[in-house]
Amino acid sequence: MSFSEFLLLYVILMTTMVLSRTVPLFALRGRELSPRLVAILDLIPVAAFAALVANDLMQPEAWATGNVWQALVPLIAAGGVVVVARKTGSLIGCAVAGLVFYVVLGAIPL
Amino acid sequence: MGTHIRRALPHAAPIMAGYVAIGIPCGILEAEVGIAPWMALILSATFYTGAGQFMLSNLWLAGQPLYAIAASISFVNLRQLLYSAAFAPRFQKVRRGLAALFALTVTDESFGVNMDRFAASEEAAVMSGDAGLYPWDAADATCLNLLSMSAWALANCVGALVGAALAIPTAVASFAMTAIFICLLFGRTFTKTTVLVGIVSAAGVVACKLLGLSQPAIIVGAVLGVAVGAVFDVVRGAELSVPETAEEALADEERYSEGVLDAQTLAEHEDEPFGGGEA
Repeated sequence: MSFSEFLLLYVILMTTMVLSRTVPLFALRGRELSPRLVAILDLIPVAAFAALVANDLMQPEAWATGNVWQALVPLIAAGGVVVVARKTGSLIGCAVAGLVFYVVLGAIPL
Repeated sequence: MGTHIRRALPHAAPIMAGYVAIGIPCGILEAEVGIAPWMALILSATFYTGAGQFMLSNLWLAGQPLYAIAASISFVNLRQLLYSAAFAPRFQKVRRGLAALFALTVTDESFGVNMDRFAASEEAAVMSGDAGLYPWDAADATCLNLLSMSAWALANCVGALVGAALAIPTAVASFAMTAIFICLLFGRTFTKTTVLVGIVSAAGVVACKLLGLSQPAIIVGAVLGVAVGAVFDVVRGAELSVPETAEEALADEERYSEGVLDAQTLAEHEDEPFGGGEA
């Protein structure tokens, strides 16, 4: 990738990213938000987390390889992380537990 | 500023550790497509998106045309519209410059942790009866974003500098981020509405991916979940109505303790007791 190609790509990506990151926040600033709108905006975090988790765990290409066990590893590891999350609520605890579950399960030769 | 950094650091630490682990492979990949370390540093400190930067390198290596790469990545990053909108109620009275700096440095992970901190603070304020008690503020949230961004940018730069000499399995490192999302999702109190939103969002993502629509999967799933949740709330009706009598206010408290009513709505109702404070 040449510098000019990088620059063009960078300018386009930055423009769309800046707009995505700032327009809603500033468009809603200074307005009296109705309780209904606030309630709808409050639904965004759980929707975003659920979508991000599903996106990470749902890997059709892993199933396409035919190795069912390797495709199941992230799902089983995620189940373990859910238990840790409900019991501790600790981000670090969940990250470490997730890594341990993932590595240990992935090392099982099935 | 030092106080805000000290408050933000413990909450930023898990994100920073994850970003170092994922940022180095991302930098290595960027070096492979000819992005110099200083370019990787600038890209990571401004554009600042893991998914987008991985996509950039992978699509370039796959021989995709420049405008197709830009369109694909921009499309995936549309989910930032939702994050920005979600923060709007909490940034109504924040200085424009600070709000802009915050908004420009939001990622999936920092969105999650900041939302969690804001919600925990507001809940603590409601429980203590001090409506002015909001320990997690915009400056704390911005410091968390900047600390996370620093770790990401430096890790990218190191990755681009050392190249393939540092071999870190990306799939394993990525799962640490997945575990953080799982913690943010399952560490919260659920209501009927949020359970429905979560299920519909996840189902939307799965459906998109099964249909081969991987790139818009997150935004489509999340928007679908929010839409269904909003309709469900409308159908259920009463949640958002301001209590008209002392008995209804008491019922509000009971619904909050049962997890049916969220802390923010309860606080709003208490600000406007009995139908707008005219009673």
